[in-house]
Amino acid sequence: MLDQLLAPKYVGWLIDGFYVTLAVSALASAAATVLGLLLCLARLAPTRWLAWPALAWLSLFRNTPLLVQLFFWYFGLAALMPQGLLEWLNTPHHWHLAFFGVRWPPFEYVAGFTGLTLFTAAFIAEEFRAGVRGVPPGQAVAARALGLRPWQVWRYVVIPQAFRIALPPLLGQYMNAVKNSSLTMAIGLAELSYASRQVETETFKTFQAFGIATLLYIGTVAVIELAGQWVQRRRPALGAVR
Amino acid sequence: MDFSVIADNLSYFLLGAWPHGPLGGAALTLVLSISSALASGALGLVLGVALATTHGPAHQGLVLALGFFRAIPVLMLIFWTYFLLPIVFGFNVPGTGTVVVALSLIGGSYLAHSVYAGIASLPPGQWQAAAALGLRRADALRHVILPQALPIMLPSFLNQWIALIKDSSLAYVIGVGELSFVATQVSNREMVYPTEIFLFVALLYFIICSSLELGAGAIARRYGSAEKQT
Repeated sequence: MLDQLLAPKYVGWLIDGFYVTLAVSALASAAATVLGLLLCLARLAPTRWLAWPALAWLSLFRNTPLLVQLFFWYFGLAALMPQGLLEWLNTPHHWHLAFFGVRWPPFEYVAGFTGLTLFTAAFIAEEFRAGVRGVPPGQAVAARALGLRPWQVWRYVVIPQAFRIALPPLLGQYMNAVKNSSLTMAIGLAELSYASRQVETETFKTFQAFGIATLLYIGTVAVIELAGQWVQRRRPALGAVR
Repeated sequence: MDFSVIADNLSYFLLGAWPHGPLGGAALTLVLSISSALASGALGLVLGVALATTHGPAHQGLVLALGFFRAIPVLMLIFWTYFLLPIVFGFNVPGTGTVVVALSLIGGSYLAHSVYAGIASLPPGQWQAAAALGLRRADALRHVILPQALPIMLPSFLNQWIALIKDSSLAYVIGVGELSFVATQVSNREMVYPTEIFLFVALLYFIICSSLELGAGAIARRYGSAEKQT
């Protein structure tokens, strides 16, 4: 029975991979939320000089596979960059800021983060747009009547309400980001799926390697789900109050 | 940028080694997508009806099982099917079959909830009226409920199928020669034009997915306006 278990060394690989998965998906989710909000605002802008490019951008990133986007950032962008810049990106760098050191990550981290962020942002922008559409138009009109400037209407009236409406689908997108981060293994990022594959080829204990990785993914998604339910209970969505 | 690499390898991108070898490239992507679209549609319909007609522990169990497939990455499921299918069936399942099984399971578990929601959105009087006419539940479902619920579900089916086309690119990880695999093959062989190659491949996916998305939008508008008229 005991020899069926994975050696601590391999469990360590999986845990390391899990940390990378958590870090990459958390960073990408945070960046994608900011970028998604900006894209949503551009998409809804009254001038077509903003709205149309935003529409083209969103449909381009939503209608191509993440895997191909990652390949593009990893292989394609590298080929476009000047030789010096690529060398700089590929060599390790250290900076010392006050108390802690910052290490520039290897290029696959940069490409993986970029790809996941841009892909997720396109979906988050659409969730925000649905949220904005869920805010009754009278709200913006009333805010204008109160003498708020257009940017204040957005800042204090529309966006806070739209954010609440968009929160459940937004959390769904964060779950997708965790799941989608598995694709970065294809460009050599040593995250959870990569680690499980590596443990499997090394030990031939397929069931254990994939099983632990699967449980870690399910656990992460379940935690996001529970967090969402907790937030919903504390701050009921607007629709429930009306 | 030099796009002659695309022209030189065009037939390999679109058809793989066919007719001298196995079908690959964009054609295989379409084959993978269409077969898993059909299988996931059938699976989603059956499981959605099961969700709508079961109660208590059976319903809870089904929800839990579907939740499992929705919580794991497609990539992990492809690993699992790659590893488990030969054990279950006792012979080597080709990579294409493995991917279709994995994509159908994922797509089916998402679609089951759409089908369930579509059935649940109909007023309960429809079931009661069908029962009053003497129809059995199965007949009521087939002749009364589904004909009304299917148009409501159609947009979510199309959206799920767009997701399937994109997910079919994951066949790359087990070496199935579809479009993204072929792209990396050409890129590795030529060494010098990765930007052009991945831009072109992204464009192919974009054309396939966005034409389906436009179709989905048109259908949603058509049935949306039909609903308002009645």
